Amino acid sequence: MVDELNQALSFLGAAFSWAGPDALVGTSLVLIAGALIGEVVFRRLGLPRIVGYSLVGMFVGAAGYGVASGDISGTVRLVVDLALALLLFELGARVQLRWLRTNPFLLVTSLAEAILTFVVVYLVMRYLGLDMSSSAAVAVLAVPASPAVIARVASEFGAEGQVTERVTMMAALNTLYGVFASRLLQAWLDLDTGQNPVQAIVHPLYVFVGSFFIAGLLGIAVARVARRLDLRNENSVLLLLGLVTLALALTKAFGLSTLMMPLMAGLWLRNSTERPWVWPRHFGTAGGVLVLMLFVIVGTSWSFSALATGGMIALAAMAARAAAKSAAVLTLGWFSGQSLRQSIGVSLALTPLSATALVMYSDLQGSHAGFAAQLSPIALSSIAVMELLGALAVLAALRSAHEIAARRV
Amino acid sequence: MTLEAFAASKPLTLGVELELGIVNTHDYDLSPSAVDLLRLMNKRKIPGDVKPEMTDSMIELSTGVCHSHADALSQLTEIRGALVDCARKLNVGLCGGGTHPFQDWSERRIFNTPRFHMLSELYGYLSKQFTIFGQHVHVGCPSADDALVLLHGMSRFIPHFIAMSASSPYVQGTDTGFHSARLNSVFAFPLSGRAPFVTTWDDFGTFFAKMTRTGVVKSMKDFYWDIRPKPEFGTIEVRVLDTPLTIEKAAALAAYIQCVASWLSKQKPFELAEDDYLVYTFNRFQACRFGPDGTFVDPKTGEHRTLREDILFTMGEIEQHAIDLNADTAMRYLRSELQRFGNDATWARQTQAQEHLLAEVVRQQCLRWSGELVV
Repeated sequence: MVDELNQALSFLGAAFSWAGPDALVGTSLVLIAGALIGEVVFRRLGLPRIVGYSLVGMFVGAAGYGVASGDISGTVRLVVDLALALLLFELGARVQLRWLRTNPFLLVTSLAEAILTFVVVYLVMRYLGLDMSSSAAVAVLAVPASPAVIARVASEFGAEGQVTERVTMMAALNTLYGVFASRLLQAWLDLDTGQNPVQAIVHPLYVFVGSFFIAGLLGIAVARVARRLDLRNENSVLLLLGLVTLALALTKAFGLSTLMMPLMAGLWLRNSTERPWVWPRHFGTAGGVLVLMLFVIVGTSWSFSALATGGMIALAAMAARAAAKSAAVLTLGWFSGQSLRQSIGVSLALTPLSATALVMYSDLQGSHAGFAAQLSPIALSSIAVMELLGALAVLAALRSAHEIAARRV
Repeated sequence: MTLEAFAASKPLTLGVELELGIVNTHDYDLSPSAVDLLRLMNKRKIPGDVKPEMTDSMIELSTGVCHSHADALSQLTEIRGALVDCARKLNVGLCGGGTHPFQDWSERRIFNTPRFHMLSELYGYLSKQFTIFGQHVHVGCPSADDALVLLHGMSRFIPHFIAMSASSPYVQGTDTGFHSARLNSVFAFPLSGRAPFVTTWDDFGTFFAKMTRTGVVKSMKDFYWDIRPKPEFGTIEVRVLDTPLTIEKAAALAAYIQCVASWLSKQKPFELAEDDYLVYTFNRFQACRFGPDGTFVDPKTGEHRTLREDILFTMGEIEQHAIDLNADTAMRYLRSELQRFGNDATWARQTQAQEHLLAEVVRQQCLRWSGELVV
């Protein structure tokens, strides 16, 4: 009986290397600690619950049970993929591409912000002595702002307004650019190491088109369900959850992008019809558990040794990234109708870097293990450094823009 | 504080004010975007004005002085164009309708001005529940006494205006059964309802002085009456209409009020009497609850008929005035509206019956407001 229970809950327990009946104990402790500390942090300090989850993760990481090697595989990867899929799908479903047509300066700002981030981080990394491909890899990882942190903090605090909307849009776009760029980077590494050049070009194309195809299927399926059922009903949400996980399974089976697929599915759903789709945030309790585990896992990605080797470079990379993003948003924001205060808010809210970067790094590790290993201290330290700061920056941005719901201020 | 002097204005000129909801384009709930919208509107040149309202998901637009239905419609079209343009830049929607069908009043934030904060302190949660959207129509009067006479004459038609403009069947996600649930929120305010029966400006001044002495009232702004005199504009202000879903309807309703005012002031078809108010609240309730199908009790004869019948009868009476004021297209429009949907509340109910999603109803309201959806 205990074994069966363990098996059923192994997707949670496997986040940590405890085996046997201890897995259940460990997972339960993490859940309890995460929920408790998350609540304390939220009520006493008025900070997002994910700060509490991350703190628990950092503690678990310090105890040596984390993913500090950057190797997230098996069930841990499954939890990360599932949680991210839900968050990215939700994020995509909030982004209206028509807005880019009516306000083209948003697209200009977004492209400028992503390109400038890449260039500045690349140059700083080169200046600090990294080789070309490593600098490019760090720069690519720095492009996306974490949709997970942004989506979670915004919904937890009921944030609404221009900063929230614009950051949502920017995060969705720069995640797409980032994932695409990381595929190009892998192709470049393949070419560099003398692999078949056709494959190096065909593969990213396959990933892009394939992910888009499955995203479309998921979008159509959800739209069909939503036309007949009320998505605010708990049972319909379960159906929705099932569809997202099935699509994710297909994505993994075909070796496609687990980041791109859910994001594009959400985008497809929002932009293929004007009808509003409304479902409970994070798909109710099941999604809530996954989100908690996601932030705990990301929180465990640090280690003292990695910080000692790559900490300073990581700090430099993150500082360069923040400067680049702010510079683009502050200069171009005005043209898209942003006030100065809002531009500051948007640039601040674009700083988090977390699960998306971790998954991108992990994919890189899957295809180019040796190369990724060199990067590991910098990449993982960056993720660790930004884990807490990111959530706090988003909250500060939303607070200063007065976008937090009246009863949650 | 003494009552200010009644300014001179050209008789039967019009001014239209419309309160609008700002919604997001994700789930079409209210969006706190008034500040952003007003900032962008500041750069636009429009006739009239756009101002903040009580909570930061609302704005109020107003035309300048209009002389005819066509004038009002063209000013509204121009302001609407600029507003919709700015709203698109912010990815928010604008909609009419007396209430937002499913917004949660507790989520609202008071717009940051001293007056709104003072009102919020005084009225508590009522001020947040006051996130409702009305159309106000000003009619120019030659003198203060004429204004009061017109005000009391016009009171008989308050149920007409309510029934035709009603567009607020839903509150907090629920069908209230009312055509205009908005007015129930207005009724909670202590100084709402009808104005006292005085027909000269001197008597009104006496009443005002008594009220200010009690300390309850400081200015005319503190009265939330269905119709109130507006001395600084030289007008009376009809305040019972829900914001319609289109500017065409808003302009037509203003024209209807203008024609009724012309008929009342030129032909004086009724003798004014305090006793006319005996049925006032009953008629008003019937209009709010049942729209054009509500019962109308004739204050003079005590006869019962439906509001629809009384409205059509009045339209016959004012026909010549409508022709003289170039408002006959507006009257035709209102007649056909009365036959097709009755009012926007019925349209909203029909749309909800089809879509089963209030967010979709609001989305279509936004399309109707911007002129992209003509039903």
